[in-house]
Amino acid sequence: MRDPARNVLPFSENPEKGRPGSRPSGDKVDDKDPRDEAAVAADIVRRIAEGDVTAEEELFERYRRGLLRLLRHLGAQPDLAEDLLQHTLCTALKRLRGEGLAEPERLAGFLCHTARNLYFNDRRKTVRRQTWSDSGELAQAVAPSPSQLDSILRDELAAKVRRLIEELPIERDRQVLRRFYLLGEPKERICADLGLDSLDFNRVLSRARKRFKDLFES
Amino acid sequence: MDHTYIEENQIADRYVQGTLPERDAEQFEEHYLSCPACLDRLDLAESMQRGFIRMAAQDAEKLSAARQLAVVAWLVRLSRSRQIGVLLTAVLVFAFVPVGLSLRGIAERGRELAQARTALAEKAALRTELEASRRDLASERKAREEASNLLAQALQPQGNVPILFFDVERGAGPAGEPTQRLKRPEGGGWIFLDVTIEAPTRQPYGAVLRDAHGTELWRRADLRLSGRDSLSLLLPASLVPPGDYSLSIEGQAPGGKPTAAGTFTFRVLPSA
Repeated sequence: MRDPARNVLPFSENPEKGRPGSRPSGDKVDDKDPRDEAAVAADIVRRIAEGDVTAEEELFERYRRGLLRLLRHLGAQPDLAEDLLQHTLCTALKRLRGEGLAEPERLAGFLCHTARNLYFNDRRKTVRRQTWSDSGELAQAVAPSPSQLDSILRDELAAKVRRLIEELPIERDRQVLRRFYLLGEPKERICADLGLDSLDFNRVLSRARKRFKDLFES
Repeated sequence: MDHTYIEENQIADRYVQGTLPERDAEQFEEHYLSCPACLDRLDLAESMQRGFIRMAAQDAEKLSAARQLAVVAWLVRLSRSRQIGVLLTAVLVFAFVPVGLSLRGIAERGRELAQARTALAEKAALRTELEASRRDLASERKAREEASNLLAQALQPQGNVPILFFDVERGAGPAGEPTQRLKRPEGGGWIFLDVTIEAPTRQPYGAVLRDAHGTELWRRADLRLSGRDSLSLLLPASLVPPGDYSLSIEGQAPGGKPTAAGTFTFRVLPSA
């Protein structure tokens, strides 16, 4: 463990969440009212300041998955992301128990900012301390090779995508998916090249996502 | 940021691809931090993108393997002599192509070096011209400064101006010992000459100043008599260093032949 202080949160979590190839959950997509988020966040901040332990657990439950996703998106490997998550929540709790926040309704912004700072600080420290003596070690750090499980999961994903593509009856729709997901081309260019309007494009992507989700759950 | 906007603008997909602008990405992060629906969207988008990339990699591997197999099959079908020929060709290509490329590179470097040398020579010539121009400019500035100083000095009221009054001396000539003398004023300045003209009828007059060797130093025409039947001349002291001088005056009646009106000699003595 990187820092003993990061172990102070006895929270449980699902380690499969956020792993490459993990199954997307089939939760119903609900529309989140930003005012609700602001009110909930302000309530959590207030209760933590008042010493309410359940509010601290609620803080973890509410933001753990998002913070983990953010840290992974920044580039943290799974173990480091877990460590930094603990550190982020510790830092946030100390702040909320102490001086509090100037804008309690922007708790999510504060957590994002804290997680990002901790990640970049950690990276700076690692770069300063690291000395590379072995080229294989260096290559592994720059582009870590996937584990066997990762490879299998990725092959499964590829098979599902292949099936999804094969099921599409229109060549144009296949092109849309390839150009958007594989080549990362912007929507405007794809629409202009294929003579689509924005609604058509959204419809193709939406159908593809839904079918991909079904393939995952089948 | 609401879900309609996120859905219509493929925010989750673009976030995973890393093509979302930084500001939008930060807003989306703040949103999804507590939004299970968007976290699911992100998981799905990430899975799809990974699946596409893996599928493309598999296709590329298959294509590469198929090409290699095709080449091997083609080689196997060839006779032994042709196989050796292909092998030798491959060896030659691998041996000579890098050499050819290196030679080409060397030739290009040579051309670049020659161009660089030409540019350096041009630069040196330009620098020499620039230095010469700078020197010319400096000397011009100095001359202009001196002229300005002289002009400023000339515009100042003058005092202690030496004055010579010339009257016609009977029997005196250019070769005679000067009877008029004056001291050259210190630090430049002016010398005033007042020349009395006898029988002043042939206006205008001309004046010629010569040194002891007869070299003409100054000439002026169209001189007019003052009220005292005399010509007034103001000469810069720099024109007459210490020595003997003669001043010849001629009448210049219009249409007539110039007539000598007198020659006056004087000696300039050094200042103190």
